[in-house]
Amino acid sequence: MSQLWDTSGIAPQKSIVMAGETIPAIFWNAVAARGPNVWMRQKDFGIWRSWTWNETAQAVREIGHGLMALGFEARHTSSILSNTNIEWVLCDLAVLSAGGVSNGIYPTDAAEQVHYLCEDSGTRVLFVENDEQLDKALAVRDTLPLLQKIVVFDMDGLRDFHDPMVISLKQLQDLGREHAQQHPDMLMHRTAACKPEDLAILVYTSGTTGKPKGGMHSHHGLVYTVRGYNTLIARDERDECMCFLPLCHIAERMGGEFFSMYTGAKLNFVENPETVPENVREIAPTVFTAVPRVWEKFYSGVMIALKEAGGLQQAVYGWSIGVGQQVADLVLAQKPVPASLKLRFHVARLLALNNVRKMIGIHRARFLVTGAAPISPDLVRWYLALGLPMLEVWGMTETCGAATGVPADRIKPGSIGPAADYNEMRLDPVTSEILVRGPNVFMGYLNLPEKTAETIDADGWLHTGDVGVVDEEGFFRITDRMKDIIITAGGKNITPSELENELKFSPYVTDAVVIGDKRPYLTVIIMIDQENVEKYAQDNDVPFSNYASLTHSTEVQELIQAEVDRVNKKFARVEQIKKFWLLDTQLSAEDEELTPTMKLKRKLVEKKYTPQIEAMYR
Amino acid sequence: MSAASPTLNTAPEAADDNVMLKLLNVESAYGPIKAIRGVSLQVRQGEIATVLGSNGAGKTTILKTISGIIDPRKGSIEFKGQSITAQDPAFIVQRGLMHVPEGREVFPLLSIRDNLLMGAYTRNDRDGVARDMEAVYNYFPILRERAAQDAGLLSGGQQQMLAISRALMASPDLILLDEPSLGLSPKLTKEIFEIVVRINRERGTTILLVEQNANMALNASDYGYVLENGRIVMEDTCARLREKEDIKEFYLGMKEEGVRADRRWKKKKTWR
Repeated sequence: MSQLWDTSGIAPQKSIVMAGETIPAIFWNAVAARGPNVWMRQKDFGIWRSWTWNETAQAVREIGHGLMALGFEARHTSSILSNTNIEWVLCDLAVLSAGGVSNGIYPTDAAEQVHYLCEDSGTRVLFVENDEQLDKALAVRDTLPLLQKIVVFDMDGLRDFHDPMVISLKQLQDLGREHAQQHPDMLMHRTAACKPEDLAILVYTSGTTGKPKGGMHSHHGLVYTVRGYNTLIARDERDECMCFLPLCHIAERMGGEFFSMYTGAKLNFVENPETVPENVREIAPTVFTAVPRVWEKFYSGVMIALKEAGGLQQAVYGWSIGVGQQVADLVLAQKPVPASLKLRFHVARLLALNNVRKMIGIHRARFLVTGAAPISPDLVRWYLALGLPMLEVWGMTETCGAATGVPADRIKPGSIGPAADYNEMRLDPVTSEILVRGPNVFMGYLNLPEKTAETIDADGWLHTGDVGVVDEEGFFRITDRMKDIIITAGGKNITPSELENELKFSPYVTDAVVIGDKRPYLTVIIMIDQENVEKYAQDNDVPFSNYASLTHSTEVQELIQAEVDRVNKKFARVEQIKKFWLLDTQLSAEDEELTPTMKLKRKLVEKKYTPQIEAMYR
Repeated sequence: MSAASPTLNTAPEAADDNVMLKLLNVESAYGPIKAIRGVSLQVRQGEIATVLGSNGAGKTTILKTISGIIDPRKGSIEFKGQSITAQDPAFIVQRGLMHVPEGREVFPLLSIRDNLLMGAYTRNDRDGVARDMEAVYNYFPILRERAAQDAGLLSGGQQQMLAISRALMASPDLILLDEPSLGLSPKLTKEIFEIVVRINRERGTTILLVEQNANMALNASDYGYVLENGRIVMEDTCARLREKEDIKEFYLGMKEEGVRADRRWKKKKTWR
């Protein structure tokens, strides 16, 4: 078991663990090497069912041949519109094995977005999860001339539905088996013909600004980066991972699917997004990558349980976490942990901390990885105090996921770590924008050569749009997004994300958009954390009935005002937020105001809530 | 958006003389299980208010907490400007609040007349009781016809009529009505609802109605609350509630036509 003061057990390894220069080549090599071992697990009627590498290979072969039977050629594009599940991975690998280009679509996207993504990517075969997703495809297929077939994973409720364009995944596999008999080597030929420089996958940016752009990644870029991940983060065949973030997002595609395929770690799929906590407890992953939102949920779950616990339990937890914090502080300060403290920490773990870890399901975790959004340094410290190193990584679609990572033996909360060994990083001398160069940088945006040229300069540096600082140890810290810089009417340059991130660290704030461009002062639109604010209201006898009345109540207004005041203290007068407005509609990922990753879209929010914004300047 | 969906602010400072019953942050539990997790609502004098919700949402618990059968863990209940939080049920009845429980609960071995007189147990104005008895018989003539028979011999619908009548016999200001449609035919349900509305209009009795039959309840009531998992997620006038997407889909069973003729999957609830 790794200890905070000795992280040698979680040092990543530097050698190549699986040969192959393209994603399908690695996959088929891995199948040959690990055949009967388990790779994936997914619940089927409440029971975890395992998929060995051989079973996976069989299904991928059938789907791949099925695609070819439908006339799917090398370099054709296929899209997958589904929640994260095993079928997603099978179809992805089948498309890549057949030499095709694979694209993912968020299951929360509306029909119009599905249309845009299919049209832009030139999708020929569209995989959909179930009847709900099928309805979206059917609504827009008439205006997608390239689309040939829609393949449905789950046919429940579709028994009486017949359409020449729609087949089930099972039917596709039947077609594939027939095709494989007639052309037994065709899929392997396609895989072999696949070149490292070929386009492999499209990852559409979720687009906080404007239409989504299709980031193109070659096989070489993916393979290079996945090998790089292995030098950044430890993972091997014994590890159990959870797979639950959207696979159309670069984080789970790379860090989940491809990284596990390369290292042989097991992928456990959650039943649905709501059952993540239960499934995590059942699996108890040994390495766990998630987004800050998930870590916050776990933390507030523990806090709520603690409030309802007895006095003795609270006292024991208080003492134990205190000991954990002492250990964490020493480790963060790179000081040795005295033996007496180690002993007390051991007791603290036995008394309380191990149970807290068990409650979350991270009692077997060797370490935790967080990324895709900024995380509160205090939250990182809390997990450290539980005895778990939490490593922050930073990256984006365009860098093929992680480009920096905090090393386990030098955790600095608030910092995203130094550049990963596999890419170069520097700050633009004028704007302080973070620039990244390396084979992991993407090929460009599909159909958008001008946008690509704006993003990757002549020397090959990717302009990330994030503004940052770097310290003497080479650790980077993000301070803002380039495009978002606000210039107030007073001529002051403000970096809104600094304020927004500070606000988001409050348990009562989910997201915030700071307004103030060409305005006399700053204001902010805030989306509250419903669960925590409801809890606050109930604990403090604040009457409310629905979401709107909750946001309108005086006490909640005061609560948020206190959070705004707390943030304001950290900033100079001209950078302080004078007024705020709470979004009074409960938003979900289906709403246009939010990206599929639940971030507010700045431009859209500014436009949609103009009257409310204007009211703050009256 | 705020213009499109005006919502009533139930903040305590929005003092309304008209408010007859006010619940603030009420929490009730059965042992370790919290049935209602913080409910704030108000019922104005002379209106029919309704609480909609599925099985186990906590509707009956709200009524039982109001009438004092269960003491709340937290929060306060005000009736006609006075606190009745965790008071004795008998006291609450005397203050003018009657509860018609779920499943009627008439006294099966007493005659219908005696059942009605049980409702008037706390009164000592004989004239008034006689008048109310007459009024009740006018609303439900069948009760007059069978006045001498045992209540246990009545049909389900007739027992419901009797239970409502028994409550009326106390001449209450507010009646809590728990699922009057339970186990009744659609025709009988309709009749009962019509009379409930008549009672409200003619006698000015305020009614808090709890129902699973959303269609009936929304048509009969003035103001509605939607309860889910022990919390109110939506409130509005019933006219406006009927127009809400989620109410249509999840409570009235109306679905938009999809691309295919039928649809198995459910929309997600947004409550707006």
